[in-house]
Amino acid sequence: MFCYQCEQTTRSESGDGCATAKGVCGKDSATADLQDLLVYAIKGIAQYAKRARALGKTDKAADGFILFGLFTTLTNVNFTASRFVSLVMEAAQHRDRVKALYEAAAQEQGITPEILTGAAAWIPATTQAELLIQSKLGAMNKDADTVGEDIVGLRAMMIYGIKGLAAYAHHAHALGYEDEEIYARLETALDFLANDPTDAGELLTGNLEVGAINLKVMELLDAANTGRFGQQEPANARISHVKGKAILVSGHDLQDLYTILEQTKDKGINVYTHGELLPAHAYPKLRSYSHLVGNYGGAWQNQNADFAAFPGAIVMTSNCLIEPAASYRQRIFTAGPVGWQGVRHITDDFTPVIQAALALAGFQEDEPERTLTVGFGHHAVLGVADKVIDAVKSGAIKHFFLIGGCDGAAPGRNYYTDVAEMAPKDTVVMTLGCGKYRFHEHDFGNIGGIPRLLDIGQCNDAYSAIQIASALAGAFECGVNDLPLSLMISWFEQKAVAVLLSLLSLGIRGIHLGPTLPAFLTPSVLAILVEKFDIRANGEPADDLAMALNKAA
Amino acid sequence: MSYAITLTTHDNQQIDFTCEPDQTVQEAAEEAGFFLPALCKVGSCGSCLGRCTEGDYHLDRYSPSLLPENAREHGDILVCRTHPHSDLHITAPYNAAQIQSAENALRDAEIVSVELIAERTTRLVLQLLPDPEHGIAFEFEPGQFVELEVPELNLKRAYSIANTPNWAGRLEFLIRLQPLGQFSSYLQETAKAGQHIQVSAASGTFGVQEQSLAPRCFVAGGTGLAPFLSILQRMADWGEDHPTQLFVGVNNEQEIFCQDELAALEQAIPQLKVDICVWKPSATWTGFCGTPADALRAYLANADVLPDVFLCGPPLLVEAATHIAVDAGINPERIFCERFA
Repeated sequence: MFCYQCEQTTRSESGDGCATAKGVCGKDSATADLQDLLVYAIKGIAQYAKRARALGKTDKAADGFILFGLFTTLTNVNFTASRFVSLVMEAAQHRDRVKALYEAAAQEQGITPEILTGAAAWIPATTQAELLIQSKLGAMNKDADTVGEDIVGLRAMMIYGIKGLAAYAHHAHALGYEDEEIYARLETALDFLANDPTDAGELLTGNLEVGAINLKVMELLDAANTGRFGQQEPANARISHVKGKAILVSGHDLQDLYTILEQTKDKGINVYTHGELLPAHAYPKLRSYSHLVGNYGGAWQNQNADFAAFPGAIVMTSNCLIEPAASYRQRIFTAGPVGWQGVRHITDDFTPVIQAALALAGFQEDEPERTLTVGFGHHAVLGVADKVIDAVKSGAIKHFFLIGGCDGAAPGRNYYTDVAEMAPKDTVVMTLGCGKYRFHEHDFGNIGGIPRLLDIGQCNDAYSAIQIASALAGAFECGVNDLPLSLMISWFEQKAVAVLLSLLSLGIRGIHLGPTLPAFLTPSVLAILVEKFDIRANGEPADDLAMALNKAA
Repeated sequence: MSYAITLTTHDNQQIDFTCEPDQTVQEAAEEAGFFLPALCKVGSCGSCLGRCTEGDYHLDRYSPSLLPENAREHGDILVCRTHPHSDLHITAPYNAAQIQSAENALRDAEIVSVELIAERTTRLVLQLLPDPEHGIAFEFEPGQFVELEVPELNLKRAYSIANTPNWAGRLEFLIRLQPLGQFSSYLQETAKAGQHIQVSAASGTFGVQEQSLAPRCFVAGGTGLAPFLSILQRMADWGEDHPTQLFVGVNNEQEIFCQDELAALEQAIPQLKVDICVWKPSATWTGFCGTPADALRAYLANADVLPDVFLCGPPLLVEAATHIAVDAGINPERIFCERFA
């Protein structure tokens, strides 16, 4: 096993990355290796899909599988080795079908089909033991000795960004939203990586292209979320429990939440969101279910304690899953790309979850009501754009901080709490992702009726943040880089990598990235990013705040 | 003086606590807030099995069948019976997630039925009663056991759960009636539908190895079938596709039970093969003649891929089958045992 895709990866003087029997996330080496092999197999699908598309032929099932398959390999999603054996086999079947499609189209059009090598030509082994031997083909560091760590790191950043955008695209796909342009560009990016590129310049361009594709994906997901559930509106989400039977829905998938709400209506069960599903309370169509009663618990890394204390059934619809403790292992369920060996997996029919919720005790009494305000998506913020612009012009708002991205267990993540709480009273803090759980119960007050803490939504709502920033830049007739805006990005997994690449693809400079820099960013690659984009590692919160405000002055 | 105890779980997590010489390691762990898997806490159920890899200790009295002499020589211990004479390093067969932070209370259940299903074999069905903490839910892993307690008779016995986890609060047990057994006479003479009985939280680490894709070979002696019924029903529900062989041993044909359940499982799990092994068959018996250990030997001699082996039943059968599996070349780490105490 060699994996350094997340922020918590093992760091050591002899080299960064998880390379023992078990990664920091809890993924064992067989699962990690099979995930690498799955990514390799998916590149093989893309090699043919790109060529078939050039001849006017596409395969919806293969495109959907590429998204789903990549999603299963994100951090804290799927830990089931046996599931990856089947997924690798499925990938080979998709590839063979797309290959046949390509060759038939070529023949039809009188073209000699290309003979492809690498993942396109790989023949899957038939047993897990042999597949594990084959997995070396997909190892991230397989040719580090010959191409060097910089190239390995650039390839890694690109494939991790692709994993992140595939996850977002899968959520949109689940809501019935797809875009052929996205598939075409994604297949091209994967085809590029399938050829093991060794040119740093090309890889950097490839990375920015991944960021650009991800912008399209986040736009599509925004359209999917708002198209299906209405524009986000500022709303209060209850964060204390109420008496009654209960289901807790975690992860990011609004479609799964919607299905659960539909299947539980009139069953006497209250539904709570957890983690990155908190913004669900801002969507009118989801809010309209009276049994969506609130949000429960903190960010993902506290789930062992939160889930153990939750007296109902729990559903994990995407990352972040950590090893379920014995005390709730029977009453946690996985859905979609998620999996843990020995944990019940649900496909569309949530009946077992409902049975569990009804059998379990539920909450015995109401807790005094406490709420949070959510729902400042681009629609809501731009709805009061005039007020915001006036406040900036009058000097009432001096600066904006966007604190976006993931939370995690690392002690360095207190940085974001400090930045938010130390930000002067004439500044506005916008949040997205689960990093906000560290400070969103703090009372930030308001500036002329505009709350000082505006939650934009899930991590993919970075799209909303970009829309807001672009609109402000338009109003002030300047570039986004000239706005009194600082971006403090806390990353943990690959969706955050995709978002970072999107910001870079827009030419946004001066992003603060933390709590630690990715292990796959080698010193030389980092030097390039610093030079081109002025990327900054987190310093002391007070110093970083002073630097940001100095920019505004 | 107190000694430092270091306990390493199966998933390589380490917990540390101190233990006085007059305390058992189990008691010291609980004092430090670690509720290690254990049921009887008097050396008669085997649920607290561990291995001491470093240090000196002695054990209080325990049921000898749980800890054969050679196992003791390898450092196997019952944590609930172990007193340290020095600092100890102990390895445990369970994962850190199975260590609780609080002691589980007993649950109330009602007897639904007590039914004789074959010679000397009873099926006991219980319905959990709702309580404010759990509702009617009773959570366990297939392969685990509970202690059933009848406080008014001062009776307490551990039995494997024979049905699969469910949200109806239903628990089933297969119980061999022992001629002089106290619980046996309770079941035959006293127990009636509607009466209450107390149930401990589920315990034990016996069960399938979820990460392993190897074939599974289950060997049951008599009511040792119970955990395998639970495991197989889950395999059927979840569509697990491991090649699976089950051997069930009985003394004579009159002792055969659960034939309908086994036939239904064979229908639901296409890759499952069930063989009933009769030790002393009549002339008309057409199935396997001999013990399930004999059947295991023949099966392993012809196996293309060596399976994970799971053994449940009387200690003598478990010992014999373990030797057979080891002789066939199976790594002892892939042999999993549950012995009747």
